[in-house]
Amino acid sequence: MINATSKLLRLRFAAQTAARLLAAAIVLGGCAAPAAAPGEAVAMQPAAAATGPLLMLEWSGYELPEFWQPFADQHPNQNVDFSFFAEDAEAFAKLQTGFKADLVHPCSSWWQLYVDAGLVQPIDTARLSNFSGMRPEMSAMGVFGGKQYFIPWEWGYESILVRTDKVKNPPKSWADLWNPEYAGHLALWDSGESNHAMTALALGFKPEQTTAAQDELIKQKLLELKPSVVTYWVDFTEVPQLISSGDAWVVANVWQDAYATLVGDGVAVDYITPSEGRLGWLCGYGISSQSANVNLAYDYINAAIAPKSMAKMIDTYSYGAANNSALALADPKFIKLLQLDEPDILQRTVFFNSITPDRRKRFTNLWDEVKAAP
Amino acid sequence: MAPPALLLAVFFVLPMLIMASFSFRLGTFAPERYVFTTEHYWDFISRTSFHRLLLRSIGVAFITAGASIVLAYPLAHFLVFRAGRMQLTLLSLLIIPAWTSYLLRILAWKVILGSNGLLNSFLLQAGLIQEGSARLLYSPSAVVVTLVYVWIPFVALPIFAALQRIDGSVLEAAADLGCPAWQTFLRVIFPLSLPGVAAGFLFVFIPTLGEWVTPALVGGARGVMYGNLIQDQFVRALNWPMGSVMSLVMLALMLVQLALFSRVVRLSDLAAV
Repeated sequence: MINATSKLLRLRFAAQTAARLLAAAIVLGGCAAPAAAPGEAVAMQPAAAATGPLLMLEWSGYELPEFWQPFADQHPNQNVDFSFFAEDAEAFAKLQTGFKADLVHPCSSWWQLYVDAGLVQPIDTARLSNFSGMRPEMSAMGVFGGKQYFIPWEWGYESILVRTDKVKNPPKSWADLWNPEYAGHLALWDSGESNHAMTALALGFKPEQTTAAQDELIKQKLLELKPSVVTYWVDFTEVPQLISSGDAWVVANVWQDAYATLVGDGVAVDYITPSEGRLGWLCGYGISSQSANVNLAYDYINAAIAPKSMAKMIDTYSYGAANNSALALADPKFIKLLQLDEPDILQRTVFFNSITPDRRKRFTNLWDEVKAAP
Repeated sequence: MAPPALLLAVFFVLPMLIMASFSFRLGTFAPERYVFTTEHYWDFISRTSFHRLLLRSIGVAFITAGASIVLAYPLAHFLVFRAGRMQLTLLSLLIIPAWTSYLLRILAWKVILGSNGLLNSFLLQAGLIQEGSARLLYSPSAVVVTLVYVWIPFVALPIFAALQRIDGSVLEAAADLGCPAWQTFLRVIFPLSLPGVAAGFLFVFIPTLGEWVTPALVGGARGVMYGNLIQDQFVRALNWPMGSVMSLVMLALMLVQLALFSRVVRLSDLAAV
């Protein structure tokens, strides 16, 4: 969950994804059983013999060395390779089709799927010396069947970003997005899951527990909003552009890094706290069940959750840290502005939890119906 | 097998077969992957909104291809019959922009059509509008404009090649027989260049029908195309079977179109271009 260093880069990833999907299709479609691709036989060595690079399946932008410095200090001769993804679905598909990453960094709504598919292994938190400072309610989200499978790293909001010099009456709630005042100046995220959640909140439903009948109401509500929408943004780097150029005045489901960027650029913007609550996301590390570098993977996670590493992440992207001890080391400006340190902020935020493949399909289909409508 | 046939078999026929086999699978990953069903075809038949969007996308592809030809034809004609010694230079100038990144050329249109872009600023200065609007960009017409701009060189080239193949003595004969220039064009040059026009049309029509990057960047809420939904099924929903069904339906329609086309133009003529 991060803005790519540049839009072009991200789109190149998208194109590469297509190519990779095709390659995966060729490999897997041709095999009767989900066997490894021929070129990957090298990695099938006993765990003790593993000396290859540590392979990260990571969001682009999180590879910055200052986010895992203690690991580099501890293993100066160890190579760390990064393979990037731009969408959670992409990382999941990659691991599912036999990609041999050691660590993967998905977000919470996908965690259950990884566990169910047997893609990740349980983590012994006693082996992580920096685990003690972690926010317990976040760590608890990574526990499935009594075992810790994911170690949370960063969290953030999805909320409404407004150009305060253009909009007279900024929205106070998700439901206010339907205010005709914003028609022609409104941008939504091209994400079925997020638009479902946002509209559910606007209608007073619990996003995680909507019934089929409620989903129909959500679809109608989104269709009603469609004529007001100028565009759906795809890439997070589009948001600062959309807002600062004036192409859109109200943008929904924005992460706080766009807000921080625009404040830094001196653009008149406000990041709303809707009365129904901001949406919240949480991402973190899991160790692949195929990993031949388990010991190194533990050291990497421990380095990533070190307070200093996490403070760098707060300063770079203004996201929240899953390790409370990081707050004291980071620049207080955005911590205050975004309430990253308020003890009850998590209760006031509506976090995305794991959803089943069936619900994911439902949300995508619902959103596709909205997109396909004239 | 001859190398070209082998290349086609490995990089074209095989992937198509894999996609076709996926369209009959229940799910993307094991164990659903190994369950076979026609469920996704029935699902597609019931999705009227998808059908509407597919028809609309065909319309967009048709308009884009038509407009590209109307704009590229005079260019090619000028290059062949008027450019003289400048021909090679001008031809290079036409092609060079196609070497820059496709995305850069799309983004350039954001600068022109955006709410504080060139066009809006001009209209504002001229007093024709009260405030800049993002509706010029983020619309189906922005998709057509951008794509036409991107495709013009690809359409101009086959037409250029077809025009250049016309035997000069044919034109002389027409002149000797007292045929005025406009009639020479209508009755001699244009019919002889039709294979190039047809090739140009297909060069644009086929990729535009499956287009998804341009609509995502400049199409806005109303410019979504069928290709965007295919992408959603593959990348977001991880529903490869449904994505395959949608792709195959598009492919089938394309083949029908090609069959109709081949009744007007001999496809082997296109190969000569």
